[in-house]
Amino acid sequence: MSSDHIHPEPTTFLRKHVFSTDHKVIAKQFLWFGLIWLGIGGIMAMMLRWQLANPGVPVPLLGGLLFPRTGGVIDPASYNTLFTMHGTIMIFLGLTPAMIGALGNWCIPLMIGARDMIFPTLNMLSFWAMFAGGAVGFYSLFVPLGATEAGWTGYPTLSTTVGGVGQGETLWAIAVFLIGASSIMGGINYITTVIRLRAPGMSWMRLPLTVWGLFLTSILNVLFVPVIGSAMILLVLDRVFGTSFYVPASIMSGGTGGDPILYQHLFWIFGHPEVYILILPAWGVVCDLLSFFARKPAFGYRTSVGSMVVITVLSAVVYGHHMFTTGLSAMLGESFMLLTMIISVPAEVLFFNWLHTLWKGSLRLTTPMLFAMSVIFVFGLGGLTGIYLATIGTDIFLHDTYFVVGHFHLTMAASALFGTFGAVYFWFPKMFGRMMSEKLGKWHFWLSFVPLVIVFCIMFISGYAGMPRRYYDHTSVEYLRPLQHLNVATSVAAFLLGAAQLIFVFNFIKSRWWGKPAPQNPWDVGTLDWTIETPVPHYNFKTIPVVQCGPHEFSNPVLGPDTDWIYQTEKLPD
Amino acid sequence: MRGISWQGLAVAFGALGLLTSLQTSDDDNPHARAPRGVSLVVTEGAYLRAPGADWFAERAKAEPGRFTHDATLAGGIGGWVDAKGEYWFVEMEEGEWVYNQWASPERLTAGRRDFVQFCSSCHGLEGDGYGRSAQHLRPTPRSFQQNKFKFTKVIADLPSDEALLAVIRRGLAGTPMLPWDLSDVQLLDIIQYIKSLSPEESGWRDVYSQVGDAIEVTEDPWVDIKERAIVRGREVYHGAASCHLCHPGYVTNEELRVIRKDPEGTTYRENLTYPALKDSEYEVLGRATKVMPPDFTWHQLRAGITTADLFQTIASGIKGTAMPQWKGALPDEDLWALAHYVEDLIVSYKDQRPERSAFMGGLRTSGDNR
Amino acid sequence: MSMLKTLLPSFALLRSRWLGCPLALMLTSTWALAQDKRWGPGEPASDYGDRFYDLFWLITILVSVAFALVVVLLVIPVLRDRARPGHRASFDHGKSLHDKRLTAIISIVTFIVLDAWVLVIAMKDLREAYWAIPDAKDPQTYRVEVLAQQWAWNFRATGVDGEFGTADDILTINELVVPLNRPVSFNMTSKDVIHALFLPEMRLKRDVNPGAINEAWFKPIKEGDFTILCAELCGFAHYQMYGKLVVLEQGQFNEWEAEASRLASTAFDADDTEAHWAWDWQE
Repeated sequence: MSSDHIHPEPTTFLRKHVFSTDHKVIAKQFLWFGLIWLGIGGIMAMMLRWQLANPGVPVPLLGGLLFPRTGGVIDPASYNTLFTMHGTIMIFLGLTPAMIGALGNWCIPLMIGARDMIFPTLNMLSFWAMFAGGAVGFYSLFVPLGATEAGWTGYPTLSTTVGGVGQGETLWAIAVFLIGASSIMGGINYITTVIRLRAPGMSWMRLPLTVWGLFLTSILNVLFVPVIGSAMILLVLDRVFGTSFYVPASIMSGGTGGDPILYQHLFWIFGHPEVYILILPAWGVVCDLLSFFARKPAFGYRTSVGSMVVITVLSAVVYGHHMFTTGLSAMLGESFMLLTMIISVPAEVLFFNWLHTLWKGSLRLTTPMLFAMSVIFVFGLGGLTGIYLATIGTDIFLHDTYFVVGHFHLTMAASALFGTFGAVYFWFPKMFGRMMSEKLGKWHFWLSFVPLVIVFCIMFISGYAGMPRRYYDHTSVEYLRPLQHLNVATSVAAFLLGAAQLIFVFNFIKSRWWGKPAPQNPWDVGTLDWTIETPVPHYNFKTIPVVQCGPHEFSNPVLGPDTDWIYQTEKLPD
Repeated sequence: MRGISWQGLAVAFGALGLLTSLQTSDDDNPHARAPRGVSLVVTEGAYLRAPGADWFAERAKAEPGRFTHDATLAGGIGGWVDAKGEYWFVEMEEGEWVYNQWASPERLTAGRRDFVQFCSSCHGLEGDGYGRSAQHLRPTPRSFQQNKFKFTKVIADLPSDEALLAVIRRGLAGTPMLPWDLSDVQLLDIIQYIKSLSPEESGWRDVYSQVGDAIEVTEDPWVDIKERAIVRGREVYHGAASCHLCHPGYVTNEELRVIRKDPEGTTYRENLTYPALKDSEYEVLGRATKVMPPDFTWHQLRAGITTADLFQTIASGIKGTAMPQWKGALPDEDLWALAHYVEDLIVSYKDQRPERSAFMGGLRTSGDNR
Repeated sequence: MSMLKTLLPSFALLRSRWLGCPLALMLTSTWALAQDKRWGPGEPASDYGDRFYDLFWLITILVSVAFALVVVLLVIPVLRDRARPGHRASFDHGKSLHDKRLTAIISIVTFIVLDAWVLVIAMKDLREAYWAIPDAKDPQTYRVEVLAQQWAWNFRATGVDGEFGTADDILTINELVVPLNRPVSFNMTSKDVIHALFLPEMRLKRDVNPGAINEAWFKPIKEGDFTILCAELCGFAHYQMYGKLVVLEQGQFNEWEAEASRLASTAFDADDTEAHWAWDWQE
């Protein structure tokens, strides 16, 4: 069916590189876009850590430029803006495009043997909607009163005009809406492409797990992003048109007005699946990379897919654990606690499969492999600490402390980020036709991994010691002053972590233009993307391949002693 | 554009318009006014009063080169521009200073933005004191249209920038007025904006207003003889100053008679050891609120509890309330003695629960003082 | 401190942007490390506070064992199974019945050890503590109405007459005085945005929502001064919205309450209706 899915190669610069409908170009656009925003969000994080370790001390280098009216000091309002935009940027403008946009666009057609996405124009639109969202978000930093200060969760009534009358919050809501529209367009495209354009022989159980991860993510995107879209529309109506969906009529009795809790429900119905939206592709990549570099089949392929499906379903019904202190009824609270706990079972199956894949393998510790293995470590740490937060008894104390910050950074930020790094190091040769430096890659890995674990583990301690998050200056409260040493230590590790990313930037840029030319299949991997030449031609596949075996037939005894892998297009010898 | 129904779009826009007009108006509660159409730009600068000629002369001496004379200002009357281009001082007649300061629209805009962002939740978007967070709040937040400030420690009608800055930096203890962590640039911009909120011909926009710095802290004559200061302060408190008329008296009726040298049988106000509720000039919803003079052994003082703070507060009085300016009415020596006495009350009894109940209980159980 | 003072004259140097900042970081860290350090939330001061501790450490033990297992299973292959000439990975899709059984067993063990165990204890805690809001009609229960605002806590207690909305209601800002060993029950709402009442030593946290009344309670078992914090972002001065919780033993508390009530009646202005914000107690 794919053979007629052909559109002519564009000739003009604009159609080729800017408004391209080619999934490979769009993937690169998403990648650059995401990496640039990750950089901006990262710089914001550095400024936050600076303020927390040195309250009221001017920010070096950037301070005088960014905060001229305070002599380089971050004032409390700017601090709120910084952490709000850091969260928003990292999730919506950094990880979403880099992980789902770039990886999805690159891997799905190439790995399933398709010539392009099924809706190329929609695909282009998806990038430009994301771009518009980013532009609106960036513009909001420069309006009077500055960008939003209501946290990335944007809880009303702080995010309504009760909390601030500037345009920043409105623009933020519009930006999130646009990015959401982009995600939905991408999601529809990915789902349909995976269902309709798989090459002959590419059965569901022969799909690389990366594609499974992206497919399930897209389902969550299509189902739950519309919810936050509607929440944002209501917020904009409240702010601009004076409705009161979220603003109670009377502060005392509630009366006939709106209800701020409505937003929390809407937000977390989206917000919890969002965690899995970001982590599922990373899991898929990890499943694949571990198998590729352990030279072993992915252990328990079917149970891995099953666990991911179960988690996808469960992620929709556990959102209440974000609201344990909001005032949920006892029945709701206990139900959400139980449902949340159940997630540990499929997650445990995944861990079991990953570790079993490594067991008795033949490990090639390349940079992508190191990042994939670090996801096991980091997500293990983050996932297990989730049990504290799923349990209401401990969550009541730990809610909105640095414990939560450490937890969600490890689970959804660090795991997704390391998954992305692994994927970038892995697919870079196919994408840009050049190898990334392994040596720099390993430096980058170790200098990221160690400080990252330190940063977020200290946050567990400070959270356990009762340090609330989103505080401008912890030393202003007597109870929190004895915890300042933890803040300083966290910041020092965070600066190391930040500095380590410069290695990546250097490596990426150097390798992109001056790296060693890549062979067609540098990793000895059999999936369809590695069967085609580098650089990938416009139509990907001259003839649509016929798939003969699964993606992970490594070290199969039938292959004989000379080789331990086989292309998916080849038939396993009898 | 096949597929887009223009009629449909028109209907959608119409519906939006309808929605806009339907928004519930809450105008009868000034605390909850819908914050729509809030302007963040100030288009007109303002002529404001600054401290008088002496102040100017002093500044000019302290910072040579800060001011330059410009004869063309104010239609040829002439004046001085300071290095920031913000102040200008116009000489009307010999030695008489009229509008001393000019706040530019740019500066007021900056101040307006910071005001809306940082201050409006209590002081209201227009600075009238009707912020959403100010409802039910006593003491009520200042309305900047009233040009009266309680704790600036200034004797003149209006506080100088420095005096206002000090209040904002220190905050008012025990109220939601926090010590703000903002830069001087931001705070001074906010202050210019606040000053420009004075109604025409009043406050800072009245040429006859006097603007002054916080009252000078004179030398403490009791510095090495605190005990004597406390004894003296107790006499002044209950005697010459009659503080016990509003604040609690910290003596029994018997002792009060002795201190005041009143004849036997003189009676004093009921509940002598409790403060008495007093009227103030600060209005909410068209009604003047009342304020409670603090019991120093119980309540938190707003404007600092060091001896110097107390001296300044007592000397300058608290505007808009029953607390008068004592500077001039009593010699400095007595003001310092009062400050020492009040400080001693705070240190000895505030938050010292057993000591306080023994002390106050002792006053209340004796004689006719129940 | 004396060492710090000798450093102070060089402060002008520290202010210079280029040299100052790295130096300031080091100075701050030194300063911070010289303070009294704390690594935990301190001893609980409420009767259910221990439950947090117990549960926390139980989970910590379970989680540590699980995580240690993961790390060991991650490290062993790295040390043992590296690619080298002549070494070939074992071929295993994990499809055998044996593997499926193993997966199932580990899942069940995980559920029982990590989930069910914790869940049972957590449910018990919830029913016996957090959701066992004391009966407001019981005179032992000390009731407090909380009205949060940007950025302060307004507290209202009944005063000696035991009724809200009367002249002797004790009104305090950012300071709450409660009796020892008596359940303290809150009715909370907010004037403007969402806040969260956080009493770290009491292990209590509950959101304070505008437009609705939320309940919470605790029972102090220690005398002294404790901390009140806000734990939900409520604007740029969120970090300054803190107060003091004072727990007094019953005798001292009665004295305090009588005096505070009396002073409150003195300060009561009957005509100033806008200032009277009490509501009917809700259960």
